[in-house]
Amino acid sequence: MTKLDAAIVGLGMTDMGKVYGRTGTQFAVEAIGKAAADAGLKVSDIDGLLVNYGLTRAVGMPLAADLGLRNLSVLSEIQAYGSSAGVMVMQAAAAVASGQATAVACVFSDVPLTEGKRAGATYSDPKNRLHPGFLGMPAGGGLLGPNVGYALAARRHMDKYGTTSEQFGHIAISTRKWAELNPIAQMRTPLTMEDHQESRYIVDPLHLFDCCLVSNGAIAVIVTSGEKARDLAKPPVYLHGGAQCHPGYIDERDSEFGLVSGAKLSGERAFKMAGVTVDQIGVREIYDCYTYTTLITLEDYGFCAKGEGGALAESGALAPGGSLPTNTGGGQLSGYYMWGMTPLSEAVIQGRGEGGERQVADNDYILVSGNGGVLQHHATLILSPHPKEA
Amino acid sequence: MSAENMLPVQRDDASAAFFDAAAEGRLLVHQCPQGHLFAPQISTCPRCQSTELSWSEASGRATLASYAVINRRGQSELPVAIVELDEGPWIRMQLQDVSTGDLKVGLPLQIRFAAPEGGEPLPYAVPA
Ligand SMILES: [Zn+2]
Repeated sequence: MTKLDAAIVGLGMTDMGKVYGRTGTQFAVEAIGKAAADAGLKVSDIDGLLVNYGLTRAVGMPLAADLGLRNLSVLSEIQAYGSSAGVMVMQAAAAVASGQATAVACVFSDVPLTEGKRAGATYSDPKNRLHPGFLGMPAGGGLLGPNVGYALAARRHMDKYGTTSEQFGHIAISTRKWAELNPIAQMRTPLTMEDHQESRYIVDPLHLFDCCLVSNGAIAVIVTSGEKARDLAKPPVYLHGGAQCHPGYIDERDSEFGLVSGAKLSGERAFKMAGVTVDQIGVREIYDCYTYTTLITLEDYGFCAKGEGGALAESGALAPGGSLPTNTGGGQLSGYYMWGMTPLSEAVIQGRGEGGERQVADNDYILVSGNGGVLQHHATLILSPHPKEA
Repeated sequence: MSAENMLPVQRDDASAAFFDAAAEGRLLVHQCPQGHLFAPQISTCPRCQSTELSWSEASGRATLASYAVINRRGQSELPVAIVELDEGPWIRMQLQDVSTGDLKVGLPLQIRFAAPEGGEPLPYAVPA
């Protein structure tokens, strides 16, 4: 892509969290309808649709029929796990830049929660993981689900850099402080270091409050060209840069697994495309499936030196009133868990100046990250309320 | 020592030789024609992309590359690890016969096998 001329013009969010009795498709239809209305468009104006089905595969390309869209020129399922939202926005931008489509809806919808079952049950159910052969071997030994993978990653960081559980706690606490200011965040009661440290281990070194929520629901955005964006209902949030990195860690001695994430390379590429430096970023919306991912992602983007993420969290810089406002809606730890749509949706809100009590004054450049698998996939977007100069 | 905390895993074509050796207490890793060694679950050499693989018997000696302790509510804690074989490859497995307070990256380990009822023998590691 030589010229980036795309903007997010619509945002649609359903009720999220312990919302039962609705299918993934029903959530997705509602989110897209809301996103279109938000943009001042009719659903029938949508000519591109990208669908990320989350964990449960409860939504997919047939969604187009449910929406009554009969003349789509772009339609795909996108699956890059937690980096899917960023990937969808970049593909939508490419589609509008090349003239393949004029208004592309990107939706994430998932229903991993079942009434009466533990929140993590779908993610760690042996039935979903106990494949035959080598694929099943770690699961057979008890290594089930993402919590274990991230605990092993976090431990490497702690061992190499001296990062502490209390430093992860500071991330949980600062994120909660933002959530207290967000009316739709799920966890809004103040969190103390004592609460964090005394919460049970999910998988040591990850305490309960180091781990994200799990939610049912959907979020959609609509991407169009920068030119068309100016005629629509809401202030556009322009895409200035975007990049992916899929690090492909090798499982052997000297692997960087747990120490360096895909944020490093995708960040460098996205900053270069946007023509901005890390110092110009006013708002950070970081994929926080765990407190640890916030920490390592901030390091890899260059908000502090490598290994200094713990000290950065401890400094209070990430919290309301701090010098580096991060996860201003409460993230996935305290806000709502919609994979990469969580940071993206809050970035759109901040870019429009609609953050209310939690609005960050300097919103000229907003960094959004998505992280998928256990650090295997990463997407970075740089957004701005100002059009990108050609 | 014990398959008590393991779940039965069935063999498939790709893993049959590995599990046959495991039943004899031998740990196999993959090897490409250039001699690169890599973990048994990886089917293409990550260095040279060769798919002409043979099996190489590893020493079973290893060190702890990372560890975590699963809190199984109502049951005992379950320590698990990324184990770095002396030959270099990593395998993820359960730890046994170790007090969680003694866990430390770099801890010398030895690989053993145990077969849960109805499943193939799975590797686990104990302090060497
Ligand atoms: Zn090779």
